[in-house]
Amino acid sequence: MRELLGNFKIPGDKIVLTLALVLIFVFFSMLNINFISTTNIINILLAASLTGLVAIGMTYLIIGGHIDLSAGAIVAFSGVLAGILSTNFAMPFPLVLVIILLTGAGVGVFNTIMVTKIELNPFIATLVTQSIFRGFAYILNDGRAIPIRDSAFTGFGTTRWWGIPIPVILLVALFIIFGVVLAKTTFGRNVYVVGGNKEAARLAGLNPNRIALKNYVITGVLCALGGVILAARMGSGQPAASMGLEFDAITAVILGGVSFAGGVGSMFGTVLGVLILQSFNTGLIMVNVPTFWQFVARGVLLLLALSFDFIRKKAREKKVLEDSMKKV
Amino acid sequence: MPGNANVLQFKQITKYFPGVKALDNISFRAKAGEVLAFLGENGAGKSTLLKILNGDYRPTGGEYLINGEQRKFRNPKEAIDAGVSVIYQERQVLMNLSVAENIFSGRLPSKMLGFVDKAALYEQTRSIIQEFNLDIDPFALVKDLSIAYQQMVEIMKAYSREQLSIIAFDEPTASLCESEIESLFGIIRKLRDEGKIIIYVTHRMKEIQSIADKVAIFKDGMYVGTVIPGEVSEKEMINMMIGRDLGDIFNELERNEEIGDTVLSVEQLTTDYVKDISFSLRKGEILGFSGLVGAGRTEIVRGLIGADVMKGGQVLLEGRRIRCRSPKEAMEQGIVLVPEDRKTQGILPNLDVGGNISVATLKKYALFGDLVNSEKESEVVEKGIRDFKVKTPSRYKKILELSGGNQQKTIIARWMSTDPAILILDEPTKGIDIGAKAEFYKMICDFAKKGISVILISSELPEIIGLSDRIIVLKSGKIAGEVLREDASEEVLLSLAMLDT
Ligand SMILES: Nc1ncnc2c1ncn2[C@@H]1O[C@H](COP(=O)(O)OP(=O)(O)OP(=O)(O)O)[C@@H](O)[C@H]1O
Ligand SMILES: [Mg+2]
Repeated sequence: MRELLGNFKIPGDKIVLTLALVLIFVFFSMLNINFISTTNIINILLAASLTGLVAIGMTYLIIGGHIDLSAGAIVAFSGVLAGILSTNFAMPFPLVLVIILLTGAGVGVFNTIMVTKIELNPFIATLVTQSIFRGFAYILNDGRAIPIRDSAFTGFGTTRWWGIPIPVILLVALFIIFGVVLAKTTFGRNVYVVGGNKEAARLAGLNPNRIALKNYVITGVLCALGGVILAARMGSGQPAASMGLEFDAITAVILGGVSFAGGVGSMFGTVLGVLILQSFNTGLIMVNVPTFWQFVARGVLLLLALSFDFIRKKAREKKVLEDSMKKV
Repeated sequence: MPGNANVLQFKQITKYFPGVKALDNISFRAKAGEVLAFLGENGAGKSTLLKILNGDYRPTGGEYLINGEQRKFRNPKEAIDAGVSVIYQERQVLMNLSVAENIFSGRLPSKMLGFVDKAALYEQTRSIIQEFNLDIDPFALVKDLSIAYQQMVEIMKAYSREQLSIIAFDEPTASLCESEIESLFGIIRKLRDEGKIIIYVTHRMKEIQSIADKVAIFKDGMYVGTVIPGEVSEKEMINMMIGRDLGDIFNELERNEEIGDTVLSVEQLTTDYVKDISFSLRKGEILGFSGLVGAGRTEIVRGLIGADVMKGGQVLLEGRRIRCRSPKEAMEQGIVLVPEDRKTQGILPNLDVGGNISVATLKKYALFGDLVNSEKESEVVEKGIRDFKVKTPSRYKKILELSGGNQQKTIIARWMSTDPAILILDEPTKGIDIGAKAEFYKMICDFAKKGISVILISSELPEIIGLSDRIIVLKSGKIAGEVLREDASEEVLLSLAMLDT
């Protein structure tokens, strides 16, 4: 009996989230049947591709006890820089992509240095980065958007394989890869370990700073990739793009069950969180909810999700307790 | 009513946790003017009963009465207001606040307009500190204090409450040194003479002899009975608590008779905390580090494994010069440290028992470079739980839901799974019950017989004398002397540790 109980893992939170997603779909398609059209679903996924990329990195960071507020700024900066390299310097797209991804990695290293070497709080450190790189995004092209003419570049955002846009395919692939890494590799497991107790992790022979470095670099690279994709989709690098993107990503990650205190969460939860957030956003637009009210609605959604989680946890504790009383 | 409770009565208290019956139909009384000790193995339910008493947990069944009146505290605050204070096994201090603010949190003396009356706060705190015979600045930050002093702050907090009528200490001395324990006992006797009801949880027989008037014995969540220490021998008490005879713990150990050559020599090790420490360790030897808390025992081994930065000196492992810049590098050389403070340095609170054991070896047997090898992981985890007799319904239980002693066993299992050549144990039996201690001593001797060299840091003199082949005594960050097994006695060690020579 004890054996049984111990192994008994309730997959409840994921089921509830899936249910919420279904509910959102039912609700909005009752108001507007176009909501479940293929076009709209692909639109939702396309919108999710940017938030999703950032959310992957954010999942690693928050579980590991860190955070990155510079994501939106890095996306914008990468987009503008990519536009300049492509248009002004006529670099071929693959080269542009490599340079941008390396730049993203560099930003990750920069964030890590601030957090580990001069021991800044991650909130503050990445706020610094946010400010600096948003600034650079404007400075690079005097505050103007930079058009992109290379069709190989723009194609990266708009081409479809089997009717599905490349960014969506890429997102799915990355979700799977990073999900497996988080769940199945020792690196992934150690992310949870340092998120729970850094000093104990260090004495247990882990290197918390190395793990932080990997997480920030992963996030930096994914943000840079997001910047390239966004620029490709829009046909230009926009310095004012994706303001507040990091908060969307954080919201999605928390919705998906990652604990803000660190050490808890999963990539599958993040997938659901991103989908819920994005379909909810799209739904609000489709049924013509005024922009300002959309903010309120999103806040309420998050509150609901978190309270529901709390109620479910309590109910589960009670149930397990009653079961064990019957049988122990 | 508060301030003069005369009887505390537990009636058929039962408590279930998921998968565990922690308390089973507990009934007994505690009287004012007596110190009642709780004795029981790890996981017997002692802490749980105290958390029911102060309203932190709700009993699944049963009730408790104070002076014949049924009470149902809904949280520790209500209990405190009614004069019931429980000092937890795990420290609950607020690290970033001062000693004074910790002691008087929730009832800071105030002046006009609600400003804190700093002068009064300082004075009140100082007088309490004086009663405890300690040397602490009332406005020092708690995080800057040693673990022992943090523990004392916790005790002072409970002590300073005016309406105190029942006070319970859950293993308060686990990190205190002899002199601190003495001043704590002074306070407890004073409280007893004032007619408070005092409950005292411990695993140390010596403390029971010197402070307890009666001993309530628990086994597997059940109440076995209450005895008077003078009337019943230690042996019988242990028998009641673990259900078998332990025999003579130390003399029956099978020691390693073939100690080999020097494996480790440390020369003039210097860190921010210790200076010019030299010693050597032989293969299969158990080397004890004795000395008062704060004498630098922990600091030496932290320097050795690279947890603190080594500023000077050198370390030779089998004649090779090594330099460990982090615990990770030390581990790769086969040197591991089981750290002293479980709560801040040992436990991975968000993981289950299995994750806490496997963390140190996961990388070693990873597949394809980094993939977790779940089969091997299960093997290691289950072996750890089995070998160290961790009492848990399964490896998937959250480590925080285990009793204190079982958490400690889990951490030790983690370290032993790394198959070390040199094992450093810093106060390893803190909070472990007597039966488990006996097992643990056997295990240390078995390690030595297998050729593992052990450095044992312990404040418990019988333990260090009973186990070590050689003992180094430290005093104020320096080596005060070295004693061979044949010559070791409590007097010798204490005089080296305390006297100026
Ligand atoms: N919060 C909790 N959730 C689930 N189980 C718990 C919880 N707290 C304690 N237990 C279980 O209840 C039992 C009794 O634990 P308790 O902490 O009271 O033991 P103890 O006698 O204080 O032991 P120790 O000497 O090791 O401190 C143990 O089996 C423990 O695993
Ligand atoms: Mg306990």
